[in-house]
Amino acid sequence: MYAIEVENLVKKYGDFEAVKGISFKVNRGEIFGFLGPNGAGKTTTVHVLTTLLRLTSGKATVAGHDVVKEPMEVRKRIGIVFQDPSLDRELTAYENMYIHGRIYGLTGNKLEEKIERLLKFVELWEFRDKPVKTFSGGMQRRLEIARSLLHEPEILFLDEPTIGLDPQTRAHIWDYIKAMKEEHNMTIFLTTHYMDEAEQLADRIAIIDHGKIIAEGTANELKKLVGNDVVYLKLEAPEEVKCLKAEFIKGCKILADGKVQLEVENAAEALPKLFTLVQHLGVKILEVTYHRPTLNDVFLHLTGREIREESGENPFKIVRMRVRR
Amino acid sequence: MRVFITMIYRQTKRFFRARSRVMGMIINPLIWLVFFGLGWSKVFDNPMARTIFGGVDYLTFLAPGIFAMTIFNQSFVSGVSVIWDKQFGFLKEVLVAPASRKETILGRLTGDSLLTTIQGFIILLLTFLLAENLKISGIIPALLIGFLLAIAFSGFGTSLALKMESMEGFQMIMMVLMLPLTFLSGAIYPIEAMPSWMKALAYINPLTYAVDGARYYLVGANVTKFSITIDWAVLSLIAVVLVSLAMVEFEKATID
Repeated sequence: MYAIEVENLVKKYGDFEAVKGISFKVNRGEIFGFLGPNGAGKTTTVHVLTTLLRLTSGKATVAGHDVVKEPMEVRKRIGIVFQDPSLDRELTAYENMYIHGRIYGLTGNKLEEKIERLLKFVELWEFRDKPVKTFSGGMQRRLEIARSLLHEPEILFLDEPTIGLDPQTRAHIWDYIKAMKEEHNMTIFLTTHYMDEAEQLADRIAIIDHGKIIAEGTANELKKLVGNDVVYLKLEAPEEVKCLKAEFIKGCKILADGKVQLEVENAAEALPKLFTLVQHLGVKILEVTYHRPTLNDVFLHLTGREIREESGENPFKIVRMRVRR
Repeated sequence: MRVFITMIYRQTKRFFRARSRVMGMIINPLIWLVFFGLGWSKVFDNPMARTIFGGVDYLTFLAPGIFAMTIFNQSFVSGVSVIWDKQFGFLKEVLVAPASRKETILGRLTGDSLLTTIQGFIILLLTFLLAENLKISGIIPALLIGFLLAIAFSGFGTSLALKMESMEGFQMIMMVLMLPLTFLSGAIYPIEAMPSWMKALAYINPLTYAVDGARYYLVGANVTKFSITIDWAVLSLIAVVLVSLAMVEFEKATID
């Protein structure tokens, strides 16, 4: 049985179709990444799956229960960290946890022990008696993560869990997410518009744009859609260079500036072979650059646009290295 | 029952966390009682005026009114405070929980109403210092009337807040509803003295019956407008209707 099964899900707001008939399945115990730009329909999908919005048509089953017919059964089995804060700001971290636990049917020592363990897990135990309104964005997000785990959900929904957080806090939250999956074998449905986040965390990724899923697979499978890795070599005597030939080289071109452009399936494995090959020719390598397709390239390839990056990081991971011989 | 109690716990915690708010809630009715009530009580300190106010001095006449007014204001504000939960997101946490929504909202309304009634009680104790002829035996039944009033208007405020999109709308409604309802309740001057069109409005104002009921217990049967049975019946009916309305609205609530 799948953790989440969605068939032809449509959600309209008046005339506007936010989600235009999407279908996907999420396996138990996997992190499923829902990657797409802002406004693609990610949050709407999460709200439908968590019974907060009514779908217009289609069918969605979460933890074995229909979200429309048995919302209460679904609610019992899921946890969610919303994109926007949903904490009671006037209350302390502990009180927020306590109220959540009580609402979900936990009481007494068991509840207290769990609150302590989870607040320690997200490193907020020492701040337990501080009102949430004094917390930073990262602390609030961590508290929300702890709270969502309190009732041990089968499936956890994380809607843009690191949006607006600094890189250090993001890395921190990634660690928690990985730990949750490993320690509890939890199914996690993660939406994000950060490619690195999807790549780091998700076992499988669905790329969503304008309310439609345009590709689905593991990060590597998706990258294969774009093509091979590309290696650029700058050689000492470019005028003498001809195209290199070998069984692992899928394509070769001499560029105008004299650089050699090579297509290979896996740059990391191809580079040492290339060095040997060039060495045999008796030519010196001055510079090596390579480029692996990123999820951004995949998105660009599929839509002709880039996912807007808000983190300020360069989406292209270009590794430069100089080889001295 | 579990969720019901939890919501009462939450409302209570929130209430006492905001100490400045607690003070503000008590100061406002005190201003009415002292600066308005004490001032006018000197003006009305003659036998003719006493007849208008049912044979008692003005402060005694006004005190149950201020009590009801305090509860009315506070319960309405606490009901509408659901809009803050909407704004700050806590509403989502409640809506996604596997708990009966009817029980959740009923717990919230009950918690708020208990707190509001306690505030009314504090005001009542203070009025006893100023007004001479109030009955101590009337405190407990008056508080019951107050609780009924509180839960009715908390329910009304909640329904409004769930329907409302913005805080601006909230300010508008406060302005348009709260003062007129106060003036049209017989809290400050007797309904008998009103022109007939105002009287008609006073009769359909739920607050009127709370003021009248509180006056019955705190002052005496001779100053009331309706029989106490009518006060209880009307207030109970309105409370049931408004709380049910809030429950229905909350049951339907989704997030957009």
